[in-house]
Amino acid sequence: MRKSVLGVAVLALLLALSVSGLALAQETIQLAGWSSSDAENAALTAAVEAFEAANPSIDVELIFAPEFETFMQTGFASGDYPNVFYVDSFRLQDWASSGVLEPYGDQITDSEDIYEPLRNIFTYEDQLYCAPKDFSTLALVYNTDMFEAAGVEVPTTWEELGAAATALATEDVAGITTGIELPRFLPLLYQNGGSILAEDGSVSLNSPEAIQAVETFVGWYTAGVGRSPADLGAGWAGEAFGQGKAAMTIEGNWIIQYLLDQFPDTNWSVAELPAGPAGQATMAFTVCYGVAAAANNDNLEASIALADFLTGPEGAQLVAAGGFGPMPARASAADAWLTARGEEFAPFVAGGEYARPWSFPPGFGSFIDTFNTGLNEAIAGNMTAAEVIESAAEIAQEAIDDMS
Amino acid sequence: MAQAASVKSVATRISTQADSKFQDAVAGWVFMAPAFLVIFVFLVLPMLAAVFFSLTNWNGIRPLFTGDGSFNAEAFEMVGLENYQRLLIEDGSRQQAFFTALKNTVYFVMGVVPVQTILALGLAVIVNQRWLKGKGFFRTAFYFPSISSSVVISLIFMFLFASNGIINQGIKAIFPSYENVTWLNDATGIIHALLGALGITRNTVGGWATTEVAGIPLWNWLSGPSVTMLMIMILNTWTTIGTMMVIFLSALQNIPGQVYEAATVDGASAGQTFRKITVPLLRPTTFFIITLGLIGTFQVFDQIYVISSGGPADTTLTIAYLVFRSGFDDQRMGLATATAIVLFIIIFIFTLIQRRITGGDKAI
Repeated sequence: MRKSVLGVAVLALLLALSVSGLALAQETIQLAGWSSSDAENAALTAAVEAFEAANPSIDVELIFAPEFETFMQTGFASGDYPNVFYVDSFRLQDWASSGVLEPYGDQITDSEDIYEPLRNIFTYEDQLYCAPKDFSTLALVYNTDMFEAAGVEVPTTWEELGAAATALATEDVAGITTGIELPRFLPLLYQNGGSILAEDGSVSLNSPEAIQAVETFVGWYTAGVGRSPADLGAGWAGEAFGQGKAAMTIEGNWIIQYLLDQFPDTNWSVAELPAGPAGQATMAFTVCYGVAAAANNDNLEASIALADFLTGPEGAQLVAAGGFGPMPARASAADAWLTARGEEFAPFVAGGEYARPWSFPPGFGSFIDTFNTGLNEAIAGNMTAAEVIESAAEIAQEAIDDMS
Repeated sequence: MAQAASVKSVATRISTQADSKFQDAVAGWVFMAPAFLVIFVFLVLPMLAAVFFSLTNWNGIRPLFTGDGSFNAEAFEMVGLENYQRLLIEDGSRQQAFFTALKNTVYFVMGVVPVQTILALGLAVIVNQRWLKGKGFFRTAFYFPSISSSVVISLIFMFLFASNGIINQGIKAIFPSYENVTWLNDATGIIHALLGALGITRNTVGGWATTEVAGIPLWNWLSGPSVTMLMIMILNTWTTIGTMMVIFLSALQNIPGQVYEAATVDGASAGQTFRKITVPLLRPTTFFIITLGLIGTFQVFDQIYVISSGGPADTTLTIAYLVFRSGFDDQRMGLATATAIVLFIIIFIFTLIQRRITGGDKAI
């Protein structure tokens, strides 16, 4: 008995020594993200393998975490989290202000090549925190068969869009369907000359332009030419559109592969969002590779090297060549993406020039909740457009006061 | 000499007694240590941590420890009772969100607990009947929802209740004039809807309707659960009935047969036996079931998470979901833990009241 205990102890000691010996020779860094389509996951795995081949001393452990943000947040709290990880543009300011990210903007290869709106999204307090992996914009997706049958032209202004929706709506088909939520509404706000925050960071939401934008958006639904996906018996707008229950929707790049896979018989096309009095605007949704802050990162250099490899000119070409939904974040790779994906998706790329960020100051989570609730209430007739704007502006002010 | 010897032996005896007492105590503690450790680490410590963080402004992201394991003093500041004050007293969005959640949760509890208790008792009495054939089948069938994953059941309900789903189509087949209800996205309160059908609306009831209590107009307090919430209530009732039925069933089988025989000899009808014998003898079980029901419904989370995420228009926002939302969407971990503690106190008070009413204190 005693002998075997001794034996186990010696074995354990040997094992521990050998493991620590390995660790000395080999750096391991963890890369965490969420799982996308199988093809995208495979492409990321291939890119990581290419990095490992180029840097034999670095091992990369790839983690696809379900419930990614909860996973990261619990990691942050304990101070023990992956070295490199996805950062949604929406979370950047929260995470950067909490000191869990290492800004490596000055070490990005040829950062000028990255679209400027995207660089701005990942800049917090004048520091570029991370390099974007890829991005998506919102565009108008429309059913070509229905447009032809109704003899409707592709709308280029919001009035034309309202008229087109009215002409296309029938008993069973909605003229337009979108999620009743802030990101689908924001292009209208910006195109009408409204804004959420002024240059100096104060809340500028409460304006006649904003109220008018809410009235336009809500108007589609109260008039019955717009219907929510739930109302059409679908989980999201893309599903309702694919099933032919709506003639138009406002969606991002992710809808491309979904429609091709799930609804190959639906004929559709893409146009840039109609413009408003203040010009064009759309929303950009993007994700960057964040690097863990130096205090919590024992392989800082290797981490930055990996992030730069994945987002650099080479990495962008890989994203482009894959022809996935999201577009490469570098202008130099845009043509490669269009070639791989199809020229008809140029409206998504065009949006990259004038897109506004889907990103907010820290603590704006409840602003979004309140706004979404307001839009729903306004459509149900329980709130006026002015009340929606007023309540959201109040919450925005509260969030800003809270943080200062 | 002899005396000295006897003193010595007494002393030895005393010391061995003390020794063995001490050894007993050590053995006792050692045997209990694993349980204590588990309870301390997984129950006491998290609870104390929750109380502690409810007094801070921690955002849930700032690392509490740096890479070398030392404590990060900049992670949060102590703010005293500020979180509680913002939830309960101070006018603002936090108070409004909390009381909206409280309103929704109370409607949920008031709807689900009585219905599930009565239905579970009814089912238990039915499957306990001697004459019933295929008891095993019925018991399994009624119990089945309880052992299935609540996420899977929620998804199935979403298909059933979709606006062109089986439920709507079924109702339409029976009543052709029925207009599809958007079960999954309808913020209308059912009490509002009933009142509306009688011609009573916010604008006809008078000025009191717009008076705000805790940031919410009185008229909105009286909304009742929304249509979407009603659907989740049906789902929750259906999934929990099975477990409660099994508990009632085992209690029913513990009631001695002689009691019923005596009642039959005395000429009691079936209804009288049920009211005067079954229900009173089941009182401890009923207390237990209502307590379980109260705790379970006050903490409802998973079905909300899967089906509605608190929407439409915050009508399915429950307190437990608000805790999650403040902590993980909104990055206010201090506020989230304060909400959780308030929820704990509410459940505690309701259980005490309920114990009074059902006489659970006498029965146990």
